[in-house]
Amino acid sequence: MIYLFAAYAVLWLITFLLVLSIELRQAQLEEELKAIRKGEK
Amino acid sequence: MGLRWNRFLILLTAIGIILGLYMALVFAPTEATMGHVQRIFYFHVPSAWVGFFAFFVTFLGGILYLWKRDLKWDRLALSSAEIGIAFMSTAIITGSIWARPVWNTWWTWDPRLTLSAVVWVIYVAYLMLRAMVEDPHRRARLASVFGIAGFASVPLDFFAIRWWRTIHPVIFTSQGFSLTPKMLWTLLFCLAAFTLLYFVILIQRLRLENLRAELEKLKGGE
Repeated sequence: MIYLFAAYAVLWLITFLLVLSIELRQAQLEEELKAIRKGEK
Repeated sequence: MGLRWNRFLILLTAIGIILGLYMALVFAPTEATMGHVQRIFYFHVPSAWVGFFAFFVTFLGGILYLWKRDLKWDRLALSSAEIGIAFMSTAIITGSIWARPVWNTWWTWDPRLTLSAVVWVIYVAYLMLRAMVEDPHRRARLASVFGIAGFASVPLDFFAIRWWRTIHPVIFTSQGFSLTPKMLWTLLFCLAAFTLLYFVILIQRLRLENLRAELEKLKGGE
């Protein structure tokens, strides 16, 4: 049973980290874009 | 894709994953020889499938970029490769966890396992290659060629268990599936749910690349 839970934990951890990294990078780029656009005005 | 469609896809995927978990942990019968640990199968195979499919999209993106010279295809190829690496990592690690109680080893240099590791390394190298080139079109050209050539490893990995003697089981044979109907339904359902999950993540990852392209364009215009 421990192997089953370990495998499922790894699966969801990797998926979570992938989605989190995409979200964080998106937020960072959006902020940079906002700052550049503000500077243009 | 519109926001409403995107939300609908996310909701559908969430329902699919929850139902998939239920089917894998409750609905599917316990395998007679391996016991509960065999239930890893219902997420191990879909992870490998998404990995292979993602690399196929990278291959297609590479061809389309070389044909059209439009960077949007390169962005698609990159986004898909990153997702493919994550799911291939999952397939390799869950396979290793499954192998420990069943084969009595975490890892063996079996053709399927070795080729899966080779596929993983090829696509990590694909990302490293991209990081080393500054010019967007030069980067896209090199990455496309690498992505197309590297994809040769994917069918090789898929057919490894059919062509060579290996300890890895073969589920899809020319005679059909070596599974009970309940096991087969669970697997097919999880395959569909994971494919939806791939598209949900791909949309978000593409959005990130589009933002990056917009930023590079603005910086270039300064």
